[in-house]
Amino acid sequence: MTKVGIIGLGTMGAQHMDAYRAMPDVEVTAVYDHHAERAQAFAQKYSVRVAESLNDLLDHCEVIDICTPTYRHAEYALPAIEAGKAVVCEKPLARTLEDCERIVNAVKQRNTPFMPAHVLRFFPEYRTAHHLVQSGAVGTVAAVRMRRGGDFPRAKSDWYADFGKSGGVILDLIIHDLDWLLWTLGAVERVYAKALTFRNLTHLDYTLVTLKFKNGAVGHVEGTWCDPGGFKVNFEVCGDSGMLEYDSARQVALQIATRADGGTGGGVQVPESPATQNPYYLELRHFIECVQTGQTPEITVEDGYNAVRLALAAIESAQTGRAIAL
Amino acid sequence: MKVKVGIMSFAHLHADSYAHCLKANPNAELVGIADHDSARAQAKAREFETQAFDSYESLLASDIQAVIICSENARHAPLVQMAAASGKHILCEKPLMTKLDDGKAMLAAAQGAGVQLFTAFPCRFSPAFQQMMRLIHAGAIGELLALRGTNRGSNPGGWFNDPELAGGGAMMDHTVHVADLMRRLTGHEIVEVYAETGNNMFHGAFDDTAMLTMTLQNGVFATLDSSWSRPKTFPTWGDVTLAAIGTRGVVEMDMFAQYLVYYDDRAGRVKQLFWGDHIDYLMVDEFLRVVAGAERQALATGEDGYRAAAVAIAGYESVKRREPVPVQA
Repeated sequence: MTKVGIIGLGTMGAQHMDAYRAMPDVEVTAVYDHHAERAQAFAQKYSVRVAESLNDLLDHCEVIDICTPTYRHAEYALPAIEAGKAVVCEKPLARTLEDCERIVNAVKQRNTPFMPAHVLRFFPEYRTAHHLVQSGAVGTVAAVRMRRGGDFPRAKSDWYADFGKSGGVILDLIIHDLDWLLWTLGAVERVYAKALTFRNLTHLDYTLVTLKFKNGAVGHVEGTWCDPGGFKVNFEVCGDSGMLEYDSARQVALQIATRADGGTGGGVQVPESPATQNPYYLELRHFIECVQTGQTPEITVEDGYNAVRLALAAIESAQTGRAIAL
Repeated sequence: MKVKVGIMSFAHLHADSYAHCLKANPNAELVGIADHDSARAQAKAREFETQAFDSYESLLASDIQAVIICSENARHAPLVQMAAASGKHILCEKPLMTKLDDGKAMLAAAQGAGVQLFTAFPCRFSPAFQQMMRLIHAGAIGELLALRGTNRGSNPGGWFNDPELAGGGAMMDHTVHVADLMRRLTGHEIVEVYAETGNNMFHGAFDDTAMLTMTLQNGVFATLDSSWSRPKTFPTWGDVTLAAIGTRGVVEMDMFAQYLVYYDDRAGRVKQLFWGDHIDYLMVDEFLRVVAGAERQALATGEDGYRAAAVAIAGYESVKRREPVPVQA
């Protein structure tokens, strides 16, 4: 039985909890959240013990899963690594590059299993596209476009709206795409970005990022917390012998449309992409198996560092109006 | 009274479309064609049942009132100046110029001769774009904050891959349409450009991939993908898209998303067969009416053409300097 402790019991904590509960060889031994009320409600819902303190949690678990807001990742990750625990940490790795460095150094020093949870790599559409591009399906890649977003995310304490805590749409949202691009196309030479992040608009954030890759490809990433039309992602990878594209708004496996009041009132449409295994499960299962077998997780702490470094360079570009070389 | 028009050069493939528009328009008479490639002039004259002139001079010496110029980009300037000197009104293919000095000379020539110079920006005539403009001007998305555009296509080959004649590659070819739509939509100039280009599609001495970031006078920022990145098997020639992001919502336009999907077994291809309005026809029709004395509405002026081409020119400067650069007025 692998004993897991979850820190941070918001949306992502619950998502991870559901994934672990589907693993017969994993037990979520305790959970922790600095909001005592939220921790109690979570514990009741899932019949799991609330740890009295971080040390209590560390004492009773082999694997620590960090699902707190970004700005608190390092605060929990560092003591967990120090205590020799295997740590899976939500993306982005940390809010600042300094915190990322601390985490990288701690992992290196203690040589503990660590994985930044870039779950996008376990979404079948992105995973399939990655492998196709790697296998040369589109030839040499010339241009890549990716889009992610919807309306502004709401969370307890509204931390997404606090740039100091979340890093805005670049660090919080399109880090998914930046990681996928680094994973799939390799290193970035230069980044240039525009963003609404610093305009002091309430609950609106938007960015357009251009990337020049070392292999000569040009990338474009759009991130939006400005689109009331619902959460949508898309991407296309154009190469000298073909193109791959995906658009969540066009490829919809299941869609239900219902009237709000069962009668003639305004309706709601909810698209779905049902699958036997969800990406969060696959991601966490991979990490648990690495912990159990001693394998190295396929997403390394350096990958987490590089994604944050690229995102922060894009933020710097948006702030200064300059192109940032990496 | 029909407006008598001549076409100067069929180097740009859009000349064929404009010739069809003239033939189909009851208010137009295609008087003749001249081309530095005299064999092409004769072939096109046969195809469009009109006269082939043996030189630009002889075409301009005829009783035509107007010309449509579809030469290679870098040859627009001398042809515009010749036509202006002959007192003909001009519709010039985009991009208006490949060098700022050429553009200035063209604007001055038209002004000096008292002729009207227009730039072929048919996208302005798209009903989808015009509706987008109405929506935004009516405040449907609140205050405009950002724009995201694409004008992707495939490599036309030939002189388009000769930077001397084309003035560049994909960025020179495909920046101006959407840059013009952005100016038209907002009423503001593009004042700064950052661009990245690449050549991983065709590995030639020209850019086939281009991504521009633009800042408008009013602070709105925008990107534009003007790459020749559509694969050979793509179901149509390319796209023109424009998304506007505002404080209250988003408008997204996909200009040519009015099509049937055609699974053509005989060709072994899937195709998009467009059924929307013919924007080249609408543009040529307004040109004819303006030449006949009507007031200009959506037709792009020479100045509009200059401003849009200056964005692409600034893009190349930015690529060289690896930093954002101001757009020269």
